[in-house]
Amino acid sequence: MMRVVVCIKQTVDPLIPVTSLVVDHDRKRIATTSKVPPVLNGYDEQALEAALRLKDAAPTECEVIALSAGADFDLDVMRMALAVGADDLVLVRDPALDTADPDLVASVLAAAIRHLGGADLVLCGRQASDWDNAQVPLTLAETMPLVACLTLARKVEVREGRVRVERVLGDSIQIMEADLPAVVTVTSELGALRYPRLRDKLLAARRQPRYLTLDALGIHAMTPAAVEVLDLAFVADRRTCEFVTGDDGADAGRRLAGILHDVRLI
Amino acid sequence: MSTTGGVLILAPADDGRLHAAFWELVTVGRQLASELGTTMRVVVHGGDAGAVAEARRSGADQVHVAEDARLAEPWPDAHLEALTTLCRELCPSVILMPRTPLGMEVAARLAARLGVGLAPDALTAEVTESGLVCTRPVFGGVARATIRLVRRPWIVVPYRRAFPPAAPTPEAQGELVVVPTRAPGGALRTECGPRTRENDAGPELERARVVVAGGMGLGGPAPFEMLREIADLLGGAVGASRPVCDAGWVSSGLQIGLTGRTVAPEVYIAVGISGAIQHIAGCSSSRAIVAINTDPAAPIFQMSNYGIVGDWKEVLPAFRDALAGR
Repeated sequence: MMRVVVCIKQTVDPLIPVTSLVVDHDRKRIATTSKVPPVLNGYDEQALEAALRLKDAAPTECEVIALSAGADFDLDVMRMALAVGADDLVLVRDPALDTADPDLVASVLAAAIRHLGGADLVLCGRQASDWDNAQVPLTLAETMPLVACLTLARKVEVREGRVRVERVLGDSIQIMEADLPAVVTVTSELGALRYPRLRDKLLAARRQPRYLTLDALGIHAMTPAAVEVLDLAFVADRRTCEFVTGDDGADAGRRLAGILHDVRLI
Repeated sequence: MSTTGGVLILAPADDGRLHAAFWELVTVGRQLASELGTTMRVVVHGGDAGAVAEARRSGADQVHVAEDARLAEPWPDAHLEALTTLCRELCPSVILMPRTPLGMEVAARLAARLGVGLAPDALTAEVTESGLVCTRPVFGGVARATIRLVRRPWIVVPYRRAFPPAAPTPEAQGELVVVPTRAPGGALRTECGPRTRENDAGPELERARVVVAGGMGLGGPAPFEMLREIADLLGGAVGASRPVCDAGWVSSGLQIGLTGRTVAPEVYIAVGISGAIQHIAGCSSSRAIVAINTDPAAPIFQMSNYGIVGDWKEVLPAFRDALAGR
């Protein structure tokens, strides 16, 4: 049985308007003004999809566990992992995990994976859409002993104890391989997470996640973060738009060409 | 010169040549070396003689050349092993890495190995008494964080185009240190195959004076042909938003945004792009932004100098014909 652990995180929805966001200066966090529900980080959804494709290929030989570390969870959001087909949902919950410190999160995830009995394959999104650090999976790979690290995969295959990925490098693709165990980061080109069936959604709503505490993981003392966040502020970067109109769309298009020519932009 | 401390710049070559971001790293390197009153070194990975000669015009006190065939590919494990060994020898105070997939990965893993912090996407970097203070975009560029790295070495990945490229010195200078292949301490855990080019539009896109980019509003891959015609008429290149690349309408090498390319053309024409934060992060330095979108409330208009609220199917053919008839 191959065990795949997918690391997931809930984030502020990156598609909500900026006007719904506020800076919490005390906690150095971005929060939402109203009760806008969080979402699963998009790249983590794609990592989950990669895991489910492996499970599709060998349903009886592959176990998928979704794992998250945080201070507080929106269970409707986290249960999506169960609804689409993860076998288990494990949440490490502690107030200290309201943090953007990649070292702390990576060490907690590594300890949780150890606690669960290890993993053959750990799948992570390439980065989270809030802090865009892109560090947790890489730090996790460096923290776990004897684990290979493969990144930016748009395709993940496992055969006979080896993982093979197609790695996206801007304008080229590279094949990388390694023996398991491995940490693999998934990029958006892999494709979107499947929709859950209504029946599976209803079943998932009744299931409880398995909670772990830092105590249970044996994490007591915290090293001070290597990166301190001193300040967080919105960027006021706006332009004034001159709207070009005409008798119809075609006329506006012709006028636009004329304006850009007149101001010597083209 | 002292044998330890100093600023170390990683210069991985691509197809033998230094990455365009190298001269931006030199600007940061010269600034930090001067503020710290220390030396600057460059380590070239996988470069040919031309790349080494170019690195020697950076004003670095030393240019290290790692001679290891594995460094010709963007193979993270190979570059990480070579750089970790060099860092343990030189004990630099600052390590600067390029914002490429390879540079960002090696930076994060090196930080984890050395137990220090990383400043990714640094827009500014300032030496203070209590550490290196950097600003960086977060939340897709909506907000800016000010962060402090305390423990050295400070590892910094400058954001593309946040620092102007430095001017090369007229002559090659600095001591040349050839680092021979070291017996690898055990085989690397990964194997890395050759790269397959999916398209060659990337460098063209980053250099283009005009970029014509399409979004989900185009409805499918076919309209990109018209974007290409307009780009050709203007001597420009075609780009796309992330959802378009994820949907497979165009190759992912054309992606503009936080996870794609950062462009700064004279004119950026966004067609059917709503202007998600993560897209704006890749084009906000353009001199002029022009948006064509059916939705007057689309966020792209707040970032644009010129806009047309309308259907691209009506606007674009007339725009193209007007350009062609000039």
